[in-house]
Amino acid sequence: MSDLSIFDLNPAAGAKPESPLAMTRVTVATVASAAKAGVVVREHAFLGHLILRGRASDPAFCAGVEQALGLPLPLKMGPLSRDEARGVSVQWMSPDEWLVIVPAGSEFATEKRLREALSGHYAVMNVSGGQTVLELSGPAVRDVLMKCTPYDVHPGHFPVGKAVSSVFAKSTAIIRRVAEDRWELVIRRSFADYLFRWVLDASEEFGVHVVQ
Amino acid sequence: MSQRNRIEQGGRIDRSRPLRFSFNGVGYQGFAGDTLASALLANGVDIVNRSFKYARVRGIVAAGAEEPNAVVQLGATEASQVPNVRATQQALYDGLTAGSTNGWPNVDRDLMGVLGKVGGKFMPPGFYYKTFMSPASMWPKYEKYIRKAAGLGRSPRERDPDIYDHINRHCDVLVVGAGPAGLAAALVAGRAGARVILCDEQEEMGGSLLDSREPIDGRPAADWVAAVLQELGAMPDVLLLPRTTANGYHDHNFVTLHERRTEHLADLAPAQNGRRTVRARMHRVRAGQVILATGTHERPLVYANNDVPGNMIAGAVSAYIHRYAVVPGQRLVLSTSNDHAYRAALDWREAGREVVAIVDARGNPEGDLVAEARKRGIRIITGSAVIETRGSRRVSSALVAKIDLAGFKVSGAVEELACDTVASSGGYSPVVHLAAHTGARPEWRDDVLGFVPGKVKGMIPAGGVNGVMALAEVLADGVEAGCRALMETGMKAAPLRLPEVRRVREGKAAALYQVPHVKPAMRAPKQFVDQQNDVTAAGIELATREGFESIEHVKRYTGMGFGTDQGKLGNINGMAIAARCLGQSIPETGTTVFRPNYTPITFGAVAGRHCGEFFDPRRYTALHAWHVEHGAKFEEVGQWMRPWYFPRGNETMHEAVQRECRAVRENVGILDASTLGKIEIQGKDAREFLNRLYTNAWTKLDVGKARYGLMCKDDGMIMDDGVTACLGENHFHMTTTTGGAAGVLDWMEMWHQTEWPELEVYFNSVTDHWAAMALNGPNARKLLAELTDIDLSKDKFGFMDWREGTVAGVPARVFRISFTGELSYEINVQANHAMHVWKALFEKGEKYGLTPYGTETMHVLRAEKGFVIIGQDTDGSVTPEDLGMQWCVGYKKPFSWIGRRALSRPDTRRTDRKQLVGLKPLDSKLVLDEGAQIVLDKEVKIPMPMVGHVTSSYFSPTLGHSFALALLKGGSQRIGQTVYLPMADGRVHAAEVVSPVFYDPNGERHHV
Repeated sequence: MSDLSIFDLNPAAGAKPESPLAMTRVTVATVASAAKAGVVVREHAFLGHLILRGRASDPAFCAGVEQALGLPLPLKMGPLSRDEARGVSVQWMSPDEWLVIVPAGSEFATEKRLREALSGHYAVMNVSGGQTVLELSGPAVRDVLMKCTPYDVHPGHFPVGKAVSSVFAKSTAIIRRVAEDRWELVIRRSFADYLFRWVLDASEEFGVHVVQ
Repeated sequence: MSQRNRIEQGGRIDRSRPLRFSFNGVGYQGFAGDTLASALLANGVDIVNRSFKYARVRGIVAAGAEEPNAVVQLGATEASQVPNVRATQQALYDGLTAGSTNGWPNVDRDLMGVLGKVGGKFMPPGFYYKTFMSPASMWPKYEKYIRKAAGLGRSPRERDPDIYDHINRHCDVLVVGAGPAGLAAALVAGRAGARVILCDEQEEMGGSLLDSREPIDGRPAADWVAAVLQELGAMPDVLLLPRTTANGYHDHNFVTLHERRTEHLADLAPAQNGRRTVRARMHRVRAGQVILATGTHERPLVYANNDVPGNMIAGAVSAYIHRYAVVPGQRLVLSTSNDHAYRAALDWREAGREVVAIVDARGNPEGDLVAEARKRGIRIITGSAVIETRGSRRVSSALVAKIDLAGFKVSGAVEELACDTVASSGGYSPVVHLAAHTGARPEWRDDVLGFVPGKVKGMIPAGGVNGVMALAEVLADGVEAGCRALMETGMKAAPLRLPEVRRVREGKAAALYQVPHVKPAMRAPKQFVDQQNDVTAAGIELATREGFESIEHVKRYTGMGFGTDQGKLGNINGMAIAARCLGQSIPETGTTVFRPNYTPITFGAVAGRHCGEFFDPRRYTALHAWHVEHGAKFEEVGQWMRPWYFPRGNETMHEAVQRECRAVRENVGILDASTLGKIEIQGKDAREFLNRLYTNAWTKLDVGKARYGLMCKDDGMIMDDGVTACLGENHFHMTTTTGGAAGVLDWMEMWHQTEWPELEVYFNSVTDHWAAMALNGPNARKLLAELTDIDLSKDKFGFMDWREGTVAGVPARVFRISFTGELSYEINVQANHAMHVWKALFEKGEKYGLTPYGTETMHVLRAEKGFVIIGQDTDGSVTPEDLGMQWCVGYKKPFSWIGRRALSRPDTRRTDRKQLVGLKPLDSKLVLDEGAQIVLDKEVKIPMPMVGHVTSSYFSPTLGHSFALALLKGGSQRIGQTVYLPMADGRVHAAEVVSPVFYDPNGERHHV
């Protein structure tokens, strides 16, 4: 009798996945060139998303996570632990909760590595089908974000690397500042259409380019 | 068209850019830089409105937000109508179209005006209520016509094509008002590197400096304004917001700023590069410190016929001359209680027009401005006031008399002075409105003769609003406020050189509000206190005589301070009159409070983008596009859009649902069940946690098995239900109702965090991660077998089991659970792969008659089985036993569980509680109304004892008759009885009480 039921949820071959934005249509006026846009919006679909739970006070847990992910476990809100080249990040979400994002298709291998490295009271939960990542870049991103979230996105309050979960329009989003003018939103699948279109609507006045 | 009141030189208008506009259907011309009010005055338009109650002709009184009369209806088209715009705050643009809000058939010949003139004496406060009070039933009819005759502007009847939005901002220092104090404060804060927002409601920043006679650093004050704005504008963390009104000051320094972005440009927001422009924007500001630099409003004096066009406040006269190069008349009489107002007469004289006299209430005025007026040979009548003006459509003369301030009486002969304009000034009221929004009571200061803001944490008043009036002191006060704000923020101020301003010596002002008349107030011509609401001094006197002693009551009885101007001009005068009548001081009388909004704002700005498609988020499943493509009608379930039914051709909803029901019972149907809440539970104490959370037992549920569970609140009432599967010893997959998902997860977290933190268990929502497809019907096994590697045989994969495998090549968990009573497999796959699996099922499913079905068919099928829907068949007052679900309550579980104690109360053990039953209407085609009340006796008259109600009701094609579920008192004992359902239209339906399980009571269909 096993303790847990985990398995790779991605098919071996053949099935074409659909991102949460597969059906979403762009209805605002857009700018043809990214260079001339105030905001460039791009979806990073199909990434591996894992929710990690455990005790930050347990050194073995922290060491295990670092060993499995090759990144230190952030022990308080922001900054993001991130390796851009490998496409791996770990974000503090709440006192015993982290969001791990890994390249598409590697979520099951990552989960197994974590489980091998961890013991005791912890949990790893795959939520890859439930969320997607929107990248916003360009000079007007901060203005757009101010039209979306009450959270203070001023550089003095939201330095590069910081990540928070907050109110976004009438829903929620995880907001991550990954570079000077580059931000990521982690949004839930069922709200993706609403949030994507809200972001585009808020961006229209600054000139928005959507990377297809 | 001539602009006869426009002077050749000066002003801040651009004479090279003439603009056309129309007012009440007449075309005029003004210049860029004009407001609608200044352009009307330039064109000599005296009458801009009819008054609210007496329909008296009214002209422009002020130059800013305090204007009570020039309240116009704006908009060239029906869709662009904006009501109640102050003409003094509306920038002129080419093609502007406006009209009066009052006056029928028109502002010049008004029908109500006749009634107002004849009956004015007989229309005291409360007139309408007193006159039209009986019979009470007729009031709604009277009211309809009374409101039509009075009333302000109207809303558009067509959809507004413009867009509005909200933006969230944070700053260290928010400065409200860009006059001398605000500019100085912003400069100090900005130079220190603070995050500063400076907002001002006017077209241009600068406030009183724009019409000032006093140079700063030896140059025109406006030059200093320009230099400061340029410096502030270059600072990256300073935001300048002109045309932006701080409309509401809320708790914890949350301030809303209403920015009008295009209303100075055109009737509708012009598009830029094909992109929509936001017409108005609400800035939602969280400010560390708020510097209130809102200045003052000049108080007019209250004298007889002070509402005849041509009566203005003194400062407005100066503003029109300096800012707009408009002198709104030929011959001026100034009536004042203070030195400062002398500027109006000096400005008037410098503009080349005649000053007939300055009438000063003080016996011996002295001060620099008085001396200057004397030097220029202007006649000054001391110890006197204008007690009345004459003229019907424009002032033709002013009656001036000596007055006894202390005795409140006219003490000398009356002299009539021919003139066409009377400017008055009774002093300056600090603009305390915003501070009052927070609940802080304004405080009276005798030296200011006005109320100053009460104390608000994090708010620093500066300049005029702080009772500081002389320019040099105002600038210093602004600097000090800036320094204090920085200190509170933990920042350091750099030294700032104060600009040089000549100190103007001013004499002490007299306290004068209502001017005495030779006749008592009740007999004298009307002395208006609040022109917008037609409140007179006599009306306030009457109110106090009738026993309204609280100023709040006086306000409500007379209407003083209501409307768009919120008592900006009249309130202090009204309080002073009430105080005099009550024989007490103004601070004893107190002030009314002000509420948001400071000036009217549009509903568009309130709504922002939260309208139309963005009013509420719509949540979609991974299969939504397929549903749309296949013609589904949708139902909103919470925020989810769920397929309701899938009509084919011209099918009605009823026909489609009947067909879908038969397909499931006879062949196979499929439901998108992705919206069901799903919670993943991991940890060694997961099972124990479930035992405490659910009413039933989980100890013996094996891996590979699933179980239905009921959840109660601590009051023993059902809160949610669902199937939870044991994935591993320490691993469970819980499902909840669609609407209950978030609440259940919060509930679990709360109990875990507060009551049982020792349990080693974690939860997380996986609702969006998994897509769920419920395959139901006798052909379900055959169809699924074509696509899966899972052994579907009855022995290997029984009812309430789950298995892992692939479906259409996609890894899946398949649950053999059923909400229809049919053989059923609920296929769960990672949502990104759901469309592939769904389409594969339809490819293989055609030969089995695979039919998509929606929530309506799901409801019919589950109700036939007597399966309840929490929230439809229950309402928070229903226990498990009320539903006949005793089998789902584990009283023998070793550890208590949520709701157990409440379920042992006598009330929850009663046998006559409302219990779930089935109803079979005697008319087998009749579908009872959901919510219909049940009675036991057909003949009983109203009020009759009601014993229950219908919770679900449908027609079943399978059963061939209609049926319903109901909650009925003592229902389990009434099986076989006939009950009655009286309808609003007088019909009474009859139904037999039956078991709630209508179909396959022994579960033979799904145990196959």
